[in-house]
Amino acid sequence: MSRSDVLVAADWVQDHIDDPGVVLVEVDEDTTAYDKGHIKGAVKLDWRKDLQDPVRRDFVDKAGFERLLSGRGISGDDTVILYGGNNNWFAAYAYWYFKIYGHDNVKLLDGGRKKWELDSRDMVTDVPSRPATSYRASEQDRSIRAFRDDVIAAIGNLNLVDVRSPDEFSGRLLAPAHLPQEQAQRGGHVPTAKNVPWSKAAEEDGTFKSDQALTELYRDEAGLDFGKDTIAYCRIGERSAHTWFVLHELLDQPNVRNYDGSWTEYGSLVGVPIELGDGK
Amino acid sequence: MSTPESGCGAPAGGIKVTAGAGDQSVVQGHVTSSGTPVPSGYARLLNADGEFVAEVPLGEDGGFTFYAAPGDWTLRILAPGGVRVERAVSASTGTITELEVAV
Repeated sequence: MSRSDVLVAADWVQDHIDDPGVVLVEVDEDTTAYDKGHIKGAVKLDWRKDLQDPVRRDFVDKAGFERLLSGRGISGDDTVILYGGNNNWFAAYAYWYFKIYGHDNVKLLDGGRKKWELDSRDMVTDVPSRPATSYRASEQDRSIRAFRDDVIAAIGNLNLVDVRSPDEFSGRLLAPAHLPQEQAQRGGHVPTAKNVPWSKAAEEDGTFKSDQALTELYRDEAGLDFGKDTIAYCRIGERSAHTWFVLHELLDQPNVRNYDGSWTEYGSLVGVPIELGDGK
Repeated sequence: MSTPESGCGAPAGGIKVTAGAGDQSVVQGHVTSSGTPVPSGYARLLNADGEFVAEVPLGEDGGFTFYAAPGDWTLRILAPGGVRVERAVSASTGTITELEVAV
């Protein structure tokens, strides 16, 4: 896998916007952004309404994913280009999700919506109409998804990467600073986790740093043992999907799992160890 | 308000404070250019070490809201055309710190 297999630049999208077989998908939690303007031809996925089970705290199941993509007019052999706001967090989460359900031909737009906007590129409000398909998903690939017991078992054994801000890692904040601080869970981090905020992997315009800079960041500065398996987590699982993308897709680390649920689950568990204080 | 079921995403303009700050340390304001709101751009909050902490896209009114912790922060505004402007700001518990930023 190389960077060009998993990432496309804004110029590439501009040149291939009308290609048949290329489907642009904007993924956001706040989908009013899409409604105000999006890249021409892009369909929208609502991270909460479309990708989360409406009752249980989990993914939509395989049949639900098939219904979703069929309704959006996406085929299994389409090249899906994902992008979104929040520096591509939700797009990276959707990327991970597409991979879990076996859609191999998926890429991220480097820099996402932010880079596109800061470049003053064209956006439209027209919503495309795509004929429905009969999308078939694979069974979930659990090798890239971690659950809470995997995290507990990883303490002191595997690489644990906490990708939240230093203030959340230390326990000073319970959520990112653009959200009210009212969650019920305890503050802190999983013992032995290294704090490598997701933002260190991205430039200010939202594009990913070079492979060399990323290797230096995780291996040399944070001290991740590239010979060991890794679990990435954040508060929910979108920011850590961004880091999962960096480690698994850009840096080709073989065994990297994203912990969906992350601190909202771990910080609410009774009887598990929690560490306070800044990263070392 | 956020619940564990919602994600960590920042809605445009951030989540507005409608009553008092309560026990939150709020930093909010607007970005204008020649007196006109800048609706397309981003506000980033950096901590005292210059580390990124949060970012919101500006609202239609050029607005942004952060829920920080008490202390010193740097606000950085990014907007199309290479705009990059910084302001130092101090937050304290129970206070809404207002900033008007001209770019």
